[in-house]
Amino acid sequence: MKNLKFISIILILSGVLFGQTPNGLEIIEKTYNRPTSKTLEANLTMVLENARGVQRVREIKQFTKDFGEVEKKLMIFRKPKDVKNTTFMNWSFDDGREDQWIYLPALKKIKRISSDSDSDYFMGSDFTYDDLGDRHPSEDTHRLIGEETIDGNDCYIVESIPLDEENMYSKTVTWIIKDKWIGYKKEFYDEDEEFLKQLNLVKYEEFDKVIVLSEVKMKNEQNGHSTIMRLSDLVINKTIADNMFTERMMKRGLR
Amino acid sequence: MKTLRDKILDHPYLVMAVILIITIFFFKQIKDKGRMETDLDKYMPHNHPAFVYSDAAEEMFDIKDGIIIAIEHPESVYNPETLQKIKDITKALQKMDEIHKADVTSLYTADNIIGTEAGMDVKAFYKRVPKAEKLAALRQEVAGNDMVAGRLISEDETVAVIIARIDDDVFTQDFYKAIIDLGVSFEGPEKVYVAGSPIVEGTMALLGPADMKRMVPVVILVIILVLLGVLKSFKSTLFTFLVVAISSVWTFGLMALVGVPTYAVSTMIPVMLIAIGVADGIHFYSHLGIFLKKNPGTEKLVAVKDMLHGMWKPIVMTSVTTAVGFISLLTSQVYPIEYFGLFTAFGVLAAMLLTLVLIPAGIMAFNLPKLSVKGAAHNSAVADKFSAALLSQKKLTWLVTLALVMVSVWGINKVWINSSFLDKFESDSDIVQTDTFINAKFGGTSTINVILETEVAGKFKHSDILTLVDKMQDDVEALAMVGSSFALTDYLKRMNMVMNADDEAFNTIPDNAELNAQYLLLYEMSGDPENLWRVTDYDYRRLNVTFQVKSDNSKVINDVLDRIETYRTPLAEMGVELNYAGSGYKALIFTDLILEGQIRSLVLSLVIIVSLLGYMFKTIKAGLVGSFPIVITALIGFGVLGVFNIPLSTTTALLSSITIGIGIDYAVHFLDRYRLNRQAGLAMEKAVSETMDHSGRAIVFNAVVVIAGFMVLLASVFPPNRALGALVSLNMFISFVGTLTVMVLLVVKSDLFNPNDRGVK
Repeated sequence: MKNLKFISIILILSGVLFGQTPNGLEIIEKTYNRPTSKTLEANLTMVLENARGVQRVREIKQFTKDFGEVEKKLMIFRKPKDVKNTTFMNWSFDDGREDQWIYLPALKKIKRISSDSDSDYFMGSDFTYDDLGDRHPSEDTHRLIGEETIDGNDCYIVESIPLDEENMYSKTVTWIIKDKWIGYKKEFYDEDEEFLKQLNLVKYEEFDKVIVLSEVKMKNEQNGHSTIMRLSDLVINKTIADNMFTERMMKRGLR
Repeated sequence: MKTLRDKILDHPYLVMAVILIITIFFFKQIKDKGRMETDLDKYMPHNHPAFVYSDAAEEMFDIKDGIIIAIEHPESVYNPETLQKIKDITKALQKMDEIHKADVTSLYTADNIIGTEAGMDVKAFYKRVPKAEKLAALRQEVAGNDMVAGRLISEDETVAVIIARIDDDVFTQDFYKAIIDLGVSFEGPEKVYVAGSPIVEGTMALLGPADMKRMVPVVILVIILVLLGVLKSFKSTLFTFLVVAISSVWTFGLMALVGVPTYAVSTMIPVMLIAIGVADGIHFYSHLGIFLKKNPGTEKLVAVKDMLHGMWKPIVMTSVTTAVGFISLLTSQVYPIEYFGLFTAFGVLAAMLLTLVLIPAGIMAFNLPKLSVKGAAHNSAVADKFSAALLSQKKLTWLVTLALVMVSVWGINKVWINSSFLDKFESDSDIVQTDTFINAKFGGTSTINVILETEVAGKFKHSDILTLVDKMQDDVEALAMVGSSFALTDYLKRMNMVMNADDEAFNTIPDNAELNAQYLLLYEMSGDPENLWRVTDYDYRRLNVTFQVKSDNSKVINDVLDRIETYRTPLAEMGVELNYAGSGYKALIFTDLILEGQIRSLVLSLVIIVSLLGYMFKTIKAGLVGSFPIVITALIGFGVLGVFNIPLSTTTALLSSITIGIGIDYAVHFLDRYRLNRQAGLAMEKAVSETMDHSGRAIVFNAVVVIAGFMVLLASVFPPNRALGALVSLNMFISFVGTLTVMVLLVVKSDLFNPNDRGVK
């Protein structure tokens, strides 16, 4: 009888504790719903590095605008020279639908590019479209598996397992900074549950209420390839005309 | 020397005990430390410039040998079950520890670049196995994609391949078995084939030694039987054979002791020791036999002392010259061959020591062999007749020799080494049939990588260069034995076509470098960029052009290289350097190195032997005369290969070393005995027939024993072992005939060892 009493006290206590701590889904939802800027204009520098340490640098002018049910993005290549003014446009709908176009100046044609899954890598980087976009919390089951302080940041550790068994990841583990609701570190495990790659937040910038992750690094641990994405000259919430995200603007390129 | 000899003869049991202890010691070394080196990569001279380049390129473009699993359905692979199997095999291979996930290619993993009305799409052919109604669409997509049709699915749609590329150092017997078992587990109704160069090498590593294990006891048995026949004594046979066996144990024991692994070529060491080692014993016992016939009833100590007195010199001479011949292999650039030369030399000297110690001790301990007294006169009659006939038919002998040499010189120009692994198997063996089957259905199981390189980053986005590369691909593919090629050009052509509404007219390299760059960016955006880094490097300064060839035969590979070479100058004019990489090319270089090394060592050892014999017999004339059988054997031995178009292999090429070992033995024994006979005051003709009776007889015995033994290998099921048997027998035969005919004539002609001549020079 004494034992039973003891156990019930433990149960009650832990219930209290869980009540104070958000669960995995809540943490991911808070992160997903973190306020973002309505528009964003920036220079994006992508540094791709292969296992031999050879680097390639791409410089891109990027415009993003949130239209509510759809987020539109326009990316115009500045460098390297032979792809200058190649333009990439992406419309990302809340229901998961994506429309993408590319303009190749040498071909003088706009082409629709579709990819059958979100597991394609973005522009030869180590980020898939899925990694870059906001994955809706309902696509995975989330579980809080611990808490940890890394580099002075108090983090929740959340394990997320995709509901879709064909997803390229068997699971991801995310360290989310408490209060800020931004991912500080994320581990990706491939379909065979082997460690595939790791995402690190290098730098973030806080604007009024809005946090922009301005430098992130993804390293593929299986092939040694890595990508740094760095945003500079950030301008947020500046008015960007709706017609910025049209085929006509894609063709215009940078003046 | 004398006191040592007496001590040995006084304590035969002690001597045998010491030998036994040494042998047990070496045997323990083999058991404890001996290890077989099965990794063929370890044989390669990795500091050779061609290898350095190839290794670097292999690293850069992730060039590896592939295991090919082919799955054949009697009607079509486009059914849910077979597609499921393709997926399952792919996944099973990806899960193996020896294989990196990204290194497995099949229809399941392949990228499908397709045109849509709106643009371009790169996607998988299938992830979940398509349902029946979607099969036709899949079929059409494959058929319309040159990058997959005929590469991963055969043109007739009955065969699909799954290719697993593996690192050089992961291949083990267990892995080999796991792959074979994996294939078998997916059989029915489909047939599953396993091929590819790692599998061929693996099968060879399994089959060759297994066959040797079966054949060697028979070889030994035959040699023992024939030895019994010629020595007519069980005891003599036993000790002659023990010399060979113990010297082999010592040699391998020493290798284990100093930490040198047993390479495939090292298995040739006992072969050499059998051919060379029995000679010492035969000459010893033959001398003893003649002595006993002439002096019946002699006490054993006297007989043994006479045997040692008469024979120690030629035995030491032959062994030292043979050892020097093998040591000259140190000039080779291939480690295992250097070790082979060094340790065979040790084995030869060990056999010499054992002959000089163990055989006399054996006689002292177990008494003289019982010999029938009659027959000696008969033998010497044969020798007399032969000598007389030889000396009266000088012209004919020279004519025949000259004719043979001329044909041989012509034949030698056609000698080639075949680096092919497949050609080592019977044409009706499973492995060859599988290879033929896959070659018939697909581009080819052998690969040549052409590496193009420039100084300027981004150069391989330029249309003029890419167009030339494309032309080279077409031109080389026109060769019947070249099935397909693959390069950056194929990506660009495919994308150009797809971006222009699948119009076949655009299946070309775009004439605009910027468009190439933009296509490549586009591919990186929508495909799996890792695929690109197998055909180009990160900054487009280098290109890897892959040719699939339907044979790994050296002649075929050389034909392909010749065709590729015609593009060296046009490419150079554009600032592009052309090189090669990959295991097939390295094997070719490797065999050339071996042949080159053999010839170099043959020439070098010939020079050394001429001077050594000159020094031993105190006249350079003896050196020149004595090395003649080597020259004849080498010429005719190689000539026969050329005339009958029999290619050498990496191991059989080493057999030219045996011509030195054996040729010199015969010559020295004959010359030494002839000199003694001349010094004893015999006239030239008499000295020839006496020597013929003494040494000639032993030489015949020696040749008969070894030829009989090695002829057994002709019954082997493994062609390289058959070639080995034939070549050793052939070399023995030529050496012995050459020594007893042409060399004898040269001795007479040069008036060698004329006692009246001695003061002059």
